[in-house]
Formats: sequence, structure tokens, C-alpha cells
Amino acid sequence: MSDVLLSATGISKHFGGVQAVDNVSIAVERGSIHAMIGPNGAGKTTFFNTLSGFFLPDSGTVRFEDVDITREANWRRIARGLSRTFQTPSIFPDLSVYQNLLIGTQAKRGVAFRLSLPRGKERDEIEARIEELLGFVGLGAVRRRTVSELSHGMQRLVEIAMSLSTEPKLVLLDEPMAGLAEAETDRVVGVIRDLHDRLGLTVLFVEHNMRVVLGLAQRITVLDRGRLLAEGSPGEIAADDAVRDAYLGKEIIENV
Amino acid sequence: MTSGRRAGILAGVAVLVVLAFGPWIGGFLNIDTSFLSEVLLTAIAALGVNLLLGYTGLPIFGNAALFGLGAYGAGLAIKDFHAGFAVALLVGVAAAFVGALIIAPFLLRRRNIYFGLLSLAFGQVFYFIAYRYSDVTGGEDGMAFTRPALNLGPIRGTVTETMMYYITYGLFVLAIVSFWLIVRSPFGQTLVAIKQNELRVRYLGLNTDRFILVGILIAALYGGLGGALYGLLLRFAFPLLLDWHQSGDFVLMTMLGGAGTIFGPLVGAIIFVIGKDIISTITPAWEIFLGAFFIACVLGFPKGILGSIGDAIARRRAPAEPNETAP
Repeated sequence: MSDVLLSATGISKHFGGVQAVDNVSIAVERGSIHAMIGPNGAGKTTFFNTLSGFFLPDSGTVRFEDVDITREANWRRIARGLSRTFQTPSIFPDLSVYQNLLIGTQAKRGVAFRLSLPRGKERDEIEARIEELLGFVGLGAVRRRTVSELSHGMQRLVEIAMSLSTEPKLVLLDEPMAGLAEAETDRVVGVIRDLHDRLGLTVLFVEHNMRVVLGLAQRITVLDRGRLLAEGSPGEIAADDAVRDAYLGKEIIENV
Repeated sequence: MTSGRRAGILAGVAVLVVLAFGPWIGGFLNIDTSFLSEVLLTAIAALGVNLLLGYTGLPIFGNAALFGLGAYGAGLAIKDFHAGFAVALLVGVAAAFVGALIIAPFLLRRRNIYFGLLSLAFGQVFYFIAYRYSDVTGGEDGMAFTRPALNLGPIRGTVTETMMYYITYGLFVLAIVSFWLIVRSPFGQTLVAIKQNELRVRYLGLNTDRFILVGILIAALYGGLGGALYGLLLRFAFPLLLDWHQSGDFVLMTMLGGAGTIFGPLVGAIIFVIGKDIISTITPAWEIFLGAFFIACVLGFPKGILGSIGDAIARRRAPAEPNETAP
């Protein structure tokens, strides 16, 4: 029980007459890579948004490290150690890669509100931390480049590094491979694996690419039309008839 | 990058040095010293607009309320409480600060055009208070008062037009330097990030409302200081100072000079205050020509004069830095 980092119980959310998420629960174990899959419109992103506080669920409870955060402001959740990326990279397009990483690094050190530049040891620590983040995602060579000039895949890596600048325990990745070329996909997959293997972080990600999901995830939750369809190990999910019928069959044909 | 920054600082210092000879240069060009004071105090007030509009991306359309509160605050302190010059100035700044404290909680709930319209509506509320509450403000006729003597330790005496210029100049230097320090600080960098993508700033764990609140309060200090200086320059405060036309002037000059640049508001204020005066002596239909000039500027300098010049310099520099990406 204590090794559950994030749990959501009975989450429901509707928009007008559409029940986008209907009574979905999930338990993400600390130190795991957990994937969430499902056809378009299955409610994956909506569910993600209730976890990260993008909006509030109509009902249900979200708990992080056994604390109820269901109604907590999104920026407070970040301070607890929950961070996220978005389907379209949410970055500061006109700022350099370095500056993109600077904002969150300063925020984490509690200096973001200051009217004077950090000096001495404090500044060195911030710079060292940014270098570490740049090295982790392999973007050291483009640190001065404006982010909007970079490829979509590099922007994705910048966003992942930004989410790491908050020093999270759990990283939520919403379709991290969306819109990426094959080579970029491999690079991002490598980075996600490193989040887990090298940094020991817990990862929950939404993904369509089944090759990626089956290669990365230790546990998979399947949504269909807003409901929880199945949950289990990759092997169990691949063998699940209901999942095959709803989703997996045609995806496997398409992608593998 | 650093050489560009150094050149920028040098240019800024050069401008400040030239301005120190303002009355002397004005004598050559046949420009009244009081007119130059007006340029500088207008630029101070526009810095506040620049912080919100240019750096944070918040269209503060009702900003003249802060300017007007500065003028009325200084005037009322003199008229009703016989305040000295420095105290009147401080009361003007405090009045704008309190005004911002009242409206900021409402503005914080809005963004983009809704922020702009709500700030405009609040600005008009203050305008109508000045207009209607005539027992205190003099209503439509405005409120005349004297310019009190300065009594600051060794600096004392009546404030002549030249002295008024140097007080305004000194405060302008203070305003520009403080503005520069603010926008390069972590706080200022975060405001720029909010302009770029507020959602991401929140998802970096920061309560953006807090940053915007402080941004509004700082803008009020600049607006109130400019307004208090204007009241002391004219020895007069009147409701149109708070009106939305006046707000529009501040927004226009900020954008014209270069929103998001440190000296943009000064360039805008020079063009605006002096341009208005020159054209209006030639033709009564001066607004048509000013309008045409603005259209030409917007087409020619989409990021404002300084912003577009800065871009052009950056473009010319870019090919000359092949090893930019080297560690």
C-alpha cells in the first residue's frame, strides 16, 4: 500500500452531455513506468488533466503520497513532486533552451520571486543544475538556441528537461511521441527509460504507439469511451480479448 | 550575446548622459525645459505600462488611472495638507499604489483582452470619481495648486523649471535603472516567461497570480510617480488625466517605442509628446497626421522602433556567430 505514489479513485468528468471520464481509478506504484492507452476520445488526456490539476474532476479523489490533492492548485502539486508535459510541447518558444530551464530551476531553489540576481554559490548551483539537465536530455550543444527554432523532437526534450527542473518524483507525459519522426521517437524513448533507470523516477505516460508502450511500460491501464477497460502487465494486456477488440488489434496491425 | 548586451548598456548610459544636458540642448532647439520634463515623466509612467504589456503580456488599458491618481494625490497633499515637494511626490505615488491594490484582486482573475477591458472599466471608474466628486477634486474644472518648495536636507529652495527638469531627470534615471534591475532579476525573467506561456510557469510550480499582482503594484509605482511629477509640473490636476484617451496614449507610445525594451517608453514618449506638439502647431487636424504616422510605424516597425532595431541587429549578428552552439 505504501508503495503507491499516485492513486486516483472513481474519477469522473463530463463536458456538456459527454461523459469524458466515467468512474476511472488508477494506482501508480513508486518507481514504475506506467502507461495509459486507449483509442482516440477514450478520455486519457481528460483523466491526466484531473491528475495534474489542469481542471477538477466532477467526482473522485486524487491522492499523491497519501495526501488528498484532488482540489489543490496545479502549481502546488508541482511543489509536491508531480510534473507533466503536454501533447503539444508547452515551452517558452521565444526564449533560449537555457532560459527555458532557468525558470523552473530558479523556482525550485525558491529564488524566482527575487529582485536581485543570484550570486556566488547560489548562482553556481543553479548553473550546475541546468548543465545537468541539458546533459541528461543531450541538448548541451543547443543551449543558446531559441526553442522555437528547434525541431519538434528537441522541443519535446526541452519540455521534459523543464519538467525535471522542478525535481519531481512523478512525471506525467501526455503522448510524448506525438508528431515525432522515427529517429526522434527512439531518442525520447531513451530519455524516458533514463528517467526511470538513471533518475529512479516514477513515470505515467499516455501513448498511442504500441511498440513504444510494450517496450517501455511495466504496467498498462486501458481506457475505452471514458471507462476503465483493463489493467495489467504488458503481457496480460496484449492477451486481453476485450482490449484486442476495442483497440489493440488494429493498432498492432498498423504499428508492428 | 555579451558584446550585444554591453553595447546596449553603453547606449543606455549615453542616452542618460545626453539627457543630463536636456535644458541646454532644448535651448538650441527652442524647446521649453518644461516640455522636456513632460517627456521624461511621461516615459516614467510608460515604464509601468511596459512592465505589464511589454514584459508580462498583460494589456493594462486603464493605466492612466494610476497616472491621474499620482497627480491628484500630490495635488491634494499640497492643497489640503500643505505638503512639501517631496512629501507631495510620495503621496502621489502612494495614491496610485493604493488604487492598484484595490483593482488588482479583480484584474488577477482575468487575462488577455478581458484583463484589458476590466482595467479600462476600472480606469473609467476613477475618471468619473475625479469628475463627479467635485468638492474634493474640483470636478471638470480640475484642481489648481502651488508647486511647493523643496526641503530635502541640503537641497532646498523653490523649484524652478530647470530644477523641476533635474528632479524629473534624477527620478527618470532611478526609474530606468530600477526597471533594468527588475527585468533582469529572476522575478523579471519569470514575468517574461508568463508572457510566453503562463500555463507552463504554473506547471513549474509557481503561483503566477502572485507575480502578476506584484507586477501591477510595481507598474503603479511608475505610473503614480509620473503622474505626481506631472501634477507638480503643471501645478494642476484634471479628470482627463485618468481618462481612457490618456491610457491609450501610454499604450501607443509604449508599443511605438518598443514594448519589452527598456528605452522603448522613452523613445515613444519623445515622439508622442514632441510630435503631438509640433504637428498641432501646424494644423488643428493634427490627430489625422499623428494617426497616419502611427500606421506607418506599425507597418515599418512591428515590434516598435527599438524592438525592430534590436531584431535587425540580432539578424545581422547571427551569421557571424558560427560557433554559437559550441559549449
